[in-house]
Amino acid sequence: MSAFDLLLGLAAVGVAYAWVFGRHARCGWIITLVYAIQFGVLLSMGGLAYSGRTPVAASFGFQFLGQSLHWRLDAVGWFFALITLGVALLASGFMAGEWGRTWRARGGSLRGLHLALALNVFAMLVLLASGDLLSLFIGWELVSWASYLLMALDGVRARDAALRYLTYALAGAMAILAGIVLLWVEGGDLAFDAVARLLPGLPDGRLWLLVLLFASGFGIKMGLLPFHLWQPKAYALTPGPGAAFLGAISSRMGLFALLVVVIRLFGLDRLAGLSVPFGLFSARDLLAWVGVLTIVLPTFTALRQQDARRLLAWHGVGQTGYMLLGVAVGSDLASAGGLMHVFNHASYQALLFLVVAGILHRTGTTDLNRLGGLVARMPLSFFLMLVGIIGLAGLPPMNGFVSKWMIYRALIDAGSPLLFIGAVIGTLGTILSVYKLLHNCFLGQLRLEHQDIEELRWTQLVPMLLLAGVVFVTGWFPGLVLDWVGAAQAALGLPVLAHTLGGVARAHGGLDMIWLVGVLLGGFGVGALVFLLGGRARRVHPLDNYAGGHFLDSHTRYQYSDDFYAGLMHRIGPWYRGLFQRGEEALVAWVDLLSLAMQGLYRQARPALWLVAALVVSLSWVLGAA
Amino acid sequence: MRLGFELVMMPLLAFVIGLLMVLLLRRIGARLQRRVGPPFLQPLYDVVKLYAKRTQVSHGLIHEIGIVMAVGGYVATETLLPVPGMNGLADKGGVITLAYMMMVPSLGLALGVGQCANPNGSIGIARALTAMLAYDIPFMLVIFGAAWVYGTTDLSEIIALQQHGAWGVERMPLLALAGLMTLPALMGKQPFEIYVAPAEIATGPMVEMGGKFLGGLFVMQAFQLYTLGVLYATLFLGGGENWPLFLVKIFAVVSIPMTIAWLYPRYRTEDMLSAMWRWPLLTALLGIAMVMI
Amino acid sequence: MNDRVQSPGERVTRTNPLAHVFDELSRFCRSRSLFILHYCTGCGAIELPPAMTSRFDMERLGIQPMVTPRQADILLVTGYVSVKTLKRILLTYEQMAAPKYVIGICSCTVNGGMYWQSYATAKVLKAYLPVDLYIAGCMPRPEAVITGMRALMDDIAAGRAESWKRYYTHYDHYLGNQQALFGENWQTPTDVLAEARHYGLLGERSEGEHTALLERHQQPLEPLTMRLRAPAGGEEKA
Repeated sequence: MSAFDLLLGLAAVGVAYAWVFGRHARCGWIITLVYAIQFGVLLSMGGLAYSGRTPVAASFGFQFLGQSLHWRLDAVGWFFALITLGVALLASGFMAGEWGRTWRARGGSLRGLHLALALNVFAMLVLLASGDLLSLFIGWELVSWASYLLMALDGVRARDAALRYLTYALAGAMAILAGIVLLWVEGGDLAFDAVARLLPGLPDGRLWLLVLLFASGFGIKMGLLPFHLWQPKAYALTPGPGAAFLGAISSRMGLFALLVVVIRLFGLDRLAGLSVPFGLFSARDLLAWVGVLTIVLPTFTALRQQDARRLLAWHGVGQTGYMLLGVAVGSDLASAGGLMHVFNHASYQALLFLVVAGILHRTGTTDLNRLGGLVARMPLSFFLMLVGIIGLAGLPPMNGFVSKWMIYRALIDAGSPLLFIGAVIGTLGTILSVYKLLHNCFLGQLRLEHQDIEELRWTQLVPMLLLAGVVFVTGWFPGLVLDWVGAAQAALGLPVLAHTLGGVARAHGGLDMIWLVGVLLGGFGVGALVFLLGGRARRVHPLDNYAGGHFLDSHTRYQYSDDFYAGLMHRIGPWYRGLFQRGEEALVAWVDLLSLAMQGLYRQARPALWLVAALVVSLSWVLGAA
Repeated sequence: MRLGFELVMMPLLAFVIGLLMVLLLRRIGARLQRRVGPPFLQPLYDVVKLYAKRTQVSHGLIHEIGIVMAVGGYVATETLLPVPGMNGLADKGGVITLAYMMMVPSLGLALGVGQCANPNGSIGIARALTAMLAYDIPFMLVIFGAAWVYGTTDLSEIIALQQHGAWGVERMPLLALAGLMTLPALMGKQPFEIYVAPAEIATGPMVEMGGKFLGGLFVMQAFQLYTLGVLYATLFLGGGENWPLFLVKIFAVVSIPMTIAWLYPRYRTEDMLSAMWRWPLLTALLGIAMVMI
Repeated sequence: MNDRVQSPGERVTRTNPLAHVFDELSRFCRSRSLFILHYCTGCGAIELPPAMTSRFDMERLGIQPMVTPRQADILLVTGYVSVKTLKRILLTYEQMAAPKYVIGICSCTVNGGMYWQSYATAKVLKAYLPVDLYIAGCMPRPEAVITGMRALMDDIAAGRAESWKRYYTHYDHYLGNQQALFGENWQTPTDVLAEARHYGLLGERSEGEHTALLERHQQPLEPLTMRLRAPAGGEEKA
């Protein structure tokens, strides 16, 4: 029995336990313990990521249609599995204590939540270890349905959003299946290495088709433009810890599949060779530009959101673009940046979703116009959100800066000003949007109805503090993550980044975060000394405030929250056109029409005849193909 | 040892030079209005007076931390900027890191202002962040172009390359021009000071700042002027061969935006966005096209 | 603590040998850097622009206009003060950071001037808050304003302009006059006594019958403290 068998077995135990004992009061803690053991098992396989390059195989497998299905965890899978289990562990810890009790008291199904989370972890482990295209597809379907379960837990609106996701996911699965069938028809073997041998010989047209099928299929799960519409709503309506898990890692499964299939099997060079008119625009450029558009447009949609959870969910879509952009540019620095961003994004996104879940838990709302001033009542949550937003915005000293720096630097090396400026615009938009988030939740005037709320309990704070610790420490010592990233790069056949503990040592401009964070902290120390030089400060009542001579009293609403970036919106407001929204509506209308027509056709007369005709046609196609 | 000395000296020099730059700007403003202007040590008097105020009104811990971050962030940033004879940590970060480090003090200020719970302050911050979105797009393009032309992001290497060859302004005149066009907005000077707008939102971010809080912001402004002057001189004017030349260059750089500042009335936020996204951006794109093709 | 609670002529024992140097330096800097808040109540305001702009240029003396009371050192009251305006002036004054100075410009601030007979005008400004300097005239010319400013600067540098302390040490007196004018429900959102206590300026005449009256109906003005748990839970953390 290999370590991977043990891991999968433990995940299955978690699922079974949640299924049977899900209503039990201590269930949450025991499942958390199971995750912790899984995490330990995964870490014990750590040699995988550092030095050994042999994947850990599962001891089971199947034969199906002459294809052998097998599972093995390599360095890429390990890297993603590490994030999956880490986030699952902390999310489960978050909901095991007071949060879960309250949620159940309010009518939520805690058993359903635990079960869905455990199923997600199991499904993801299956997917991450897939050893050929068929097992990949099986894992893919498992993950899709497991996410659906997690999304559909919280009320009718959530179920609607989840159903929308499912529609997208099924379409994506069909695209992937079509791609797999095409490959099977071409080569007859779906093992990864066989496909890798087959692909370079295929004609350009066929390859384009395959790239588009796979990229759009996986892209739907990633939430790439233009397939992103399902994601924000579905994630925003998922209950807190579930949203943290989904936002942190679930859609990264799309990226994983894209890496394993499109990047590893096709190869970036082959993708760059696939070009339309006169070699100006290649499949690789397509991926990079989809990445940049996915950065810019959703980020600026996030800027307009009035709800904390939606805002974060939209940023989740936007940040995916950096990962794809990094990988598509494909140099050692860029792909390391893209892969590292997976880790970084998971850490701060999970943190932010958990903080917002905490705010929802305490105040009952995430409406950014109904909060404010919470820093006085939930100071630790404020601090945690601050760490999270600095990471999300990609500013020093948090880890988000490091991965984004690598991508910027690689784009300078590659000489792509437009991609570069797209990435920068995304970062700037993120800064604007996350400041609004922090300001409207925690800063400004404390509302009367929030005077007496309390900080979260330690069961909720500890997982968040751990995540914040990860965000800060991996920002200070990015080399810790870059070790794993390097192993993943090697497993993917990408050039491996030479790195140091502090970042990247490179001729012509490297990065050493150890020094930078050190000097920043030192600077803050000097700032504090300079501050203390001045006279002793006296805290005043919030209503002792400048209002142009007006006398403020406790019933004066003195908070600026709505239409936060009014001036900006005067200029760019008209640029938001809901293009994708309307495209989706048009598509839905067409499908509606088509299905109505079909319905009419087969209601009209003799359904049996149509059935026979369809059967004959499909049989003849299958026989003809064989 | 040597590095430790540099890490102390660089922020200190930046502070002194920054105060002189504040003086320079105020003198230029005065001369343009046919006034005498403030005495030589005026910026120092202001800062000392503010720190020595008896009443120091604070709206809470975050208000105080915000000011600490605003000053401390710049203290750290100055160590990334090479000056004649001192490289500090220039090889550890480079120009992209510098551009992002400069946002840390602004974030600190934004936090502090947020805690004051004054809508004028919040509006000011919203406008300041919008301004950042406006000017950073052309500005980052300028940085991209310069880094691409020099083939490095290491500022000390950029200086060495220019001192042994042509200055940046010769090799990429359009990018230098675009940088100069964004400079007034980066400095937050007229006509791009909508986020201060004294008569409308009561100096925006500064509305609840008194005593050492305002003093911290004065210090921050001094650092900001210095940083921008040195960064521009480093990218396009060959950095500093020696101190006198270096000082001439950086004072010239910061005095240009101030000299033209009074020619324009204040732009509204949306007009500022148009202004930044039109000519500076086009110039920067043209400049990049010129050096890359 | 107790030795600091004294009247304006307070002598605080300073252990730092450089304390006098620091005091001297800060007094000098205060006198050379004056941020003014012009509360333009009446006609006198029209004389300030010439004092600031190219003809007389106050900036060469280190005087520049500021916008909010938090930033300002000098409150310029430039003309007649109606009862309604006086409330705002008091709020503004209380929000300013000490050391702070008040200058009454125009005759109206001295004795009501041509509005002496008006039912709606507060005639003697210094009854409601300590005034450092009057610049009389109707209106005083910019030269007079500048001269007044110079006089104030000399006072500050010599340590004579300490009347802001009177507001704390004689708060009851000022509050009494204010209550007489505005009624007994009068209060501002600033907590003057707490500030006096914080800076050790609470004197014998700070509190009295008028502050007692104020405390009876005053809304609590404690600063918002950061805390993890509601005080009812027992463990309060500041």
